[in-house]
Amino acid sequence: MNPENIKYHKEHTWVKISGKKAIIGITNYAQESLGDIVYIDLPDLDNTVDANTELTEIESTKTTSSVISPVSGTITEVNEDLAETPEIINEDPYGKGWIAVLEIEDKSQLDSLMDVSEYEKYLEEEAKLK
Amino acid sequence: MKIAVLGAGPGGYVAAIRAAQLGASVTVIEDIEVGGTCLNRGCIPTKTLVASAEVLDKAKNIQDFGIELNGSVAPNIQKILERKNKVVSIQVKGIRGLFKSWGIKILDGRGFIVNPKKIKVVLKDGSIEEVETDKIIIATGSRPAQIPMFSFDGEKILSSDDAVNLSHIPKSLLVIGAGVIGCEFAFIYREFGSEITMVEMMPRAVSTEDEEISEILEKELKKKKIKLIANIKVEKIEIKKNSVQAFLSDGKTVEAEKVLVSIGRAVNSRDIGLENIGVKTGQRGEIIVNDKMETNVEGVYAVGDVTGKIMLAHVASKQGIIAAENAAGGNASINYDTVPAAIFTSPEIASVGLREKQALDKGYKIKIGRFQFRALGKAHAMGEISGLIKIIADEQSDKILGAHIIGPHASDLIHEVALAINKGLTVKDIADTIHAHPTLSEGIMEAAEDVHGAAIHVPKK
Repeated sequence: MNPENIKYHKEHTWVKISGKKAIIGITNYAQESLGDIVYIDLPDLDNTVDANTELTEIESTKTTSSVISPVSGTITEVNEDLAETPEIINEDPYGKGWIAVLEIEDKSQLDSLMDVSEYEKYLEEEAKLK
Repeated sequence: MKIAVLGAGPGGYVAAIRAAQLGASVTVIEDIEVGGTCLNRGCIPTKTLVASAEVLDKAKNIQDFGIELNGSVAPNIQKILERKNKVVSIQVKGIRGLFKSWGIKILDGRGFIVNPKKIKVVLKDGSIEEVETDKIIIATGSRPAQIPMFSFDGEKILSSDDAVNLSHIPKSLLVIGAGVIGCEFAFIYREFGSEITMVEMMPRAVSTEDEEISEILEKELKKKKIKLIANIKVEKIEIKKNSVQAFLSDGKTVEAEKVLVSIGRAVNSRDIGLENIGVKTGQRGEIIVNDKMETNVEGVYAVGDVTGKIMLAHVASKQGIIAAENAAGGNASINYDTVPAAIFTSPEIASVGLREKQALDKGYKIKIGRFQFRALGKAHAMGEISGLIKIIADEQSDKILGAHIIGPHASDLIHEVALAINKGLTVKDIADTIHAHPTLSEGIMEAAEDVHGAAIHVPKK
């Protein structure tokens, strides 16, 4: 189930805030759509990324896709476990499958993101459009 | 008609055979070995190394294919080079055999042009032979470019000539220049076990390719743990007892057992007697030719790398054919618009026609079709799913302007599009052609369909 204590971006990424740290990953919907994930290009530490731009790229057996950062910040940690076992993202997208930690400056960016009920409604609407 | 060809690489030997086919009496002068750089130190040696690297890669992942291997796999560089030498020698004999069959005389020695009708040849045994001729085709090729501070020593500072003959696999290798040659060697030696760092002055690897292709290659470099430092220059190199240290323009240093300098190629236009006949050369020493491969001196032609046009073996060969036909009295000319090019990285890269940026710069309104190899059943069956096919077309006419492929067998797949561009075909022409299943070529059809948003194996956008 989609957790309640995190914020969601319309490009199917999530962010969890703890102090200045923002943990980022992809949603369960994203991992299901991608299918079996075979590779993730781990972002470089100390690089900065802007909200709504590509944090990194992910490859599944079906497709390659951008991971869009929900917030702006400096990359301070990446999930090294994903280098050898990217399939963790499929197994646990909201837990062990986290991708990176950003140090964020501007917490107001969180206001434009969705909470879980908004995100689930958004998924339903997207499904109707297809 | 007597025709003398100076140099027997892919420009010269092809020119010689075509000239003989047209009835000329042909003499070829070659100071190293027939086949030139391509066969002896370039295309073919590297492809045998690539083949060994591919087998090793498959063997390392053999369990993925359901095969059990009891024991370990490891590269044996001596045996890899033995195989390489065998492949090269078969091809060398092949060219010599073709010469014999066409009655072409080969002089193994170094030629100097005395006048437009005479070449002096210093044979390998030191004796001198003079060749009287009606026409001359210069095909002296190129060599690895070096800048004085990185003089090749064959030990620690290597050229591509050295890199096809290393007696052991270096623990670490610094590759200066992430162009075609640098990238091919990086993948080869990485597979053999070397730690690789590449330093590139330009912002990206294989910077002459379409940007999207470069980006994917850079990701593949990352997957192989080949480190690429782009947008940086090497300012100084210090040779230490067991290593080499490079000082970079950002103040950092890189240390490696050996350095491969792959910054391009320099033309071989010196010490061949050009000054005796007043052949015009350009800034890099390249012999200036027109599209009939004529130099400014009547009866003297030049082909291949020494003309500094497009330094590819197949371009040299085409130029050789044009020169031979014209020398024999014909009226042929070359067109460089549709030259396919291949890079044997892992996965391979191939391209033909315009890159996206070039097409836009030329003022075209373009449409782009893309198709990922991972959407093909055949790619999955082969276990090689990385890569992309990109087709660029003119929106107005639907004609194909360029194609860029990174993926398995890209170098073979590109020719369908090369033919299409050469004949002015449209995207629809390719899309309408039934492609066999299951093949990688289906990707070309799908990419063509995608130009019109109609690829079958692409989800709704």
